[in-house]
Amino acid sequence: MKKKATALLLAGFMLLTACSSNSNTKNEANTGTEGNAAGSQKITVWAWDKNFNIAAMNLAKDAYVAKNPDAQIEVVEYAQDDIIQKLNTGLNSGSASGLPNIVLIEDYRAQSFLQTYPDAFQELGDAIKTSDFAEYKLGPTSFNGKQYGVPFDSGVVGLYVRTDYLQEAGYTVDDLQDIDWQQYIEIGKAVKAKTGKDMLTQDPNDLGLIRMMIQSAGSWYLKEDGTTPDLKDNAVLKEAFESYKELMNADIVKVNSDWSSFLAGFNSGDVASVPTGNWITPSVKASADQSGKWAVVPFPKLKNAANSVHASNLGGSSWYVLNNDGKEAAVKFLGATLGSDVALYQKLVTDVGVVGTYKPAAEGEAYGAADEFFGGQKVIADFAKWTAEIPNVNYGLHTYAIEDILKVEMQNFLNGTELDKALSDAQSQAESQIQ
Amino acid sequence: MGLMENWLRKLRDQSLFSKIFVVMVISIVLVTVLITTVTAQMSQRLFVQTFSITNSKIIDQIKSALDNSHYTTVNTAINVGQSGVIRSFMTEKDGSSLANFRRYYSMRDQMDRIQSGIGAANIGLSILGGNGRSYTSDVTYWSGSSEQLRNNPITAAAQEQGGKLFYSFMDASPLNSESRYLVAAKALTAPGLTKPYGTLYMFTRESDFRKSYASFTSKGNDVMFLDTAGRIVSSNRTEQVGSLSPELLNSAKQIAESGLASQELTLGGREVIVLADYLPSYNFYIVNLIDKNETIGTLFDKKMLFLIGGAIAAVALLLIYFLTKRLTKSLRTLVKKMSNVTKKNFHNYMAVTGSYETRQLSTAFNYMLRELNDYVAQLVETQKEQRNAELAALQQQINPHFLYNTLASVNILVQRGSKEQATETIHALISLLQNTISNVKETITVEDELINLKHYVFITQVRNGNRIKVETFVSPDCMSAKVPKLILQPFIENAFFHAFNIKSSGYIYVTIMKDRDILHCEVVDTGDGMDLDNKETIPASTSSRQLFSGIGIRNVHDRLLLLYGEPYGVSITSTPGQGTKVSIRIPC
Repeated sequence: MKKKATALLLAGFMLLTACSSNSNTKNEANTGTEGNAAGSQKITVWAWDKNFNIAAMNLAKDAYVAKNPDAQIEVVEYAQDDIIQKLNTGLNSGSASGLPNIVLIEDYRAQSFLQTYPDAFQELGDAIKTSDFAEYKLGPTSFNGKQYGVPFDSGVVGLYVRTDYLQEAGYTVDDLQDIDWQQYIEIGKAVKAKTGKDMLTQDPNDLGLIRMMIQSAGSWYLKEDGTTPDLKDNAVLKEAFESYKELMNADIVKVNSDWSSFLAGFNSGDVASVPTGNWITPSVKASADQSGKWAVVPFPKLKNAANSVHASNLGGSSWYVLNNDGKEAAVKFLGATLGSDVALYQKLVTDVGVVGTYKPAAEGEAYGAADEFFGGQKVIADFAKWTAEIPNVNYGLHTYAIEDILKVEMQNFLNGTELDKALSDAQSQAESQIQ
Repeated sequence: MGLMENWLRKLRDQSLFSKIFVVMVISIVLVTVLITTVTAQMSQRLFVQTFSITNSKIIDQIKSALDNSHYTTVNTAINVGQSGVIRSFMTEKDGSSLANFRRYYSMRDQMDRIQSGIGAANIGLSILGGNGRSYTSDVTYWSGSSEQLRNNPITAAAQEQGGKLFYSFMDASPLNSESRYLVAAKALTAPGLTKPYGTLYMFTRESDFRKSYASFTSKGNDVMFLDTAGRIVSSNRTEQVGSLSPELLNSAKQIAESGLASQELTLGGREVIVLADYLPSYNFYIVNLIDKNETIGTLFDKKMLFLIGGAIAAVALLLIYFLTKRLTKSLRTLVKKMSNVTKKNFHNYMAVTGSYETRQLSTAFNYMLRELNDYVAQLVETQKEQRNAELAALQQQINPHFLYNTLASVNILVQRGSKEQATETIHALISLLQNTISNVKETITVEDELINLKHYVFITQVRNGNRIKVETFVSPDCMSAKVPKLILQPFIENAFFHAFNIKSSGYIYVTIMKDRDILHCEVVDTGDGMDLDNKETIPASTSSRQLFSGIGIRNVHDRLLLLYGEPYGVSITSTPGQGTKVSIRIPC
């Protein structure tokens, strides 16, 4: 009897222990899956402009994931200002936790980030071959002889024109080849008179047109050293301001308030031309019904500036890897795609319209292809040609700081202030701010 | 069948044990189950109460945080509404490029200032004027054209609300970077204007809005916001955002209106506790869902609870089983022993073992048995003595007729002059009387009995003549065997006086032999025989006139039974016309 009892008790305890050991194995199984999830780390990318940068990055992602099925890449769209603000907040506080692995930074701002937060970015080292990229992109993307950015799009600009409106006003595309801003204004007046359409859109808060004008003549807001403001007595800048005022006075400018209304301006057919960077191509082509009605002509030059050419730059940006968890995977990803994949660049050209700065890709077929949307014009080849003619300037660290001052002075100038006074006011403000 | 019966019998034998055990099993199981359930329910209720209290505090916190953002939103709306520049931007007709340029610039300047007043909060601002002009601070919040913004249902709703700020949900679309938004919209009005001059939109990403409460949530503890149509506009369960949940809205309304603390619901197969409150500033219901299974489920491991309860019950049952078995065992043996006593056997004494009570019972029982046996023995003894006394009395009464007859015969012999025969007869009578009247109790040897028998036969033959002859056949080894005195005489006598009424002459044979331990004596006559109605009964003597003593043949059988017990005694067989045979069996 007693034996039986002990046996039963034992059996009972065995049952209990068996159950608890069961739950143990469950836990182990759980931790196992967690470990797996941590293994393939997600790469986060921040960029702006879904038609251009985001579209391009998604192509790169697709190309990479096709070869590395485990890779997880998330492309997040933010406004450029948002990205700048978030980067500044994150890097200032020293915590890179909320920040992405890869971020797109405009070339104008690159140096200010690289110099202000030297340890925040990951040096690319052997991941890319710098000699394969356009030389003018290397300056803004490197610091202290180290390469930090993967040069992306060329900011080469052109003048996108509506051939049908021009025709109505009595002009052909040939009439717009190699013109200066005075001629442009004349044509604009004619177009407005004939068609009632404005010649271009402008946002009072974006002096991109001024920047394009002065770079076409090899000048910038800052002197060669990249730190000294060059506003007062800058003849090129003066002429640019005057041309700007002439445009306004000619009443051929449709004012836009934001990016959407900028796009809406030409997509809805309200303006006859768009003087801007080549990255606008996909947005222009978004209105498929306007196919064949567009052409791209060389950027107008400043009439009086002696060294002004028909080529300039606007925007243009590069990809940077932040020095945080997952940087190795991020560097690998960029190196394998935008750093070396010629086929990808061909796809970028045909699908998105990106004029890259990766030289080996320029020999590909896509670069020489004719674009039916632009009436059979070999747009990419033209942009590539103009890219080579862009005058090299040092953007320095303070492009947008000075531009904020100039925006106000532009208002003053348009409202009747003497140009010299406006610029010398800007000069003194800039000097006191930058110091 | 046999097995079944066997089992049933066993069950009946142990019915006391089975009853106690069954009652115990039922009560232990009931008690365990009841206690477990009651405890579980009590702690569940306690848990739900605690959860409700802390979570209603959390809801209050979320509410106050949201009230702050609402305050910011309202301020922004006021600032936009009070700005003349912005109002002009939205009302005036397009002028010259220069005029537009200035207006756009100053509008933007104002908007930037207002935006900076919002601070770090991620709010996208859009304005849409009656003149078709629009401005959006951040293209990722809204990238559609002004036309698309005008056609958005929120714009129509804003016109309807007539200048009131209200919040609505905007689902993901290509125009807003595929994110979900909570849009605070307000139709901008001015005194003197019959119609609003424009609309202000303040976009908050649902993901940003979520941050204001996400830290309070956990697995199984969800927070969601419902608009008055029952749409989930924000939730930490992102997959539910945008879906309609009328039952949740109903529940939230009930709770908010009747001031309940919480409510329990079954939502899509999940049991949940719902806490809710109404946010008047947002016109949303804030709902806190606590999944009972996931929260309380983790608190209680039901399986474990049942296992422990089961184990305790099992151990208790095991103990009860052995205890009751032990307790009832002695009782059971008692019952068994007592039931065996019934069959004429009072010598089944019990082993005095087991618990105190059983031991006492056994002792008492044994004492009773012993007393009983004593009385029985005494009774038997008394009876024996009584019978012996009777016998003695009978033996000592030598029938006076016998004496008279014998003496009369002697007298005749003397008169006839057969002096020798008379002397012989007198001698036989003397030795017969000597042997019978002296000590009655003792048994005598077969030899002596035969001598007595010879004297009796001699006397009888003297009186009645020689027509009935007596022959004795005794095996030599029987001579020393002991038999009760005068055991054969009554049968011889009987044969002499009754067996030869019809036949005038014949023989009486007396045979004595030994078969192992039994002495067989037979008295066989060749007389008339008789019809025995009942073979067992021995016919009583009809007349005592000529009897030698008071001992009748009927007495012999009783005497033998009394002396030797059951298997011994007298049996008679008889055939009419042939004779009678009397067999006597006694131990030797």
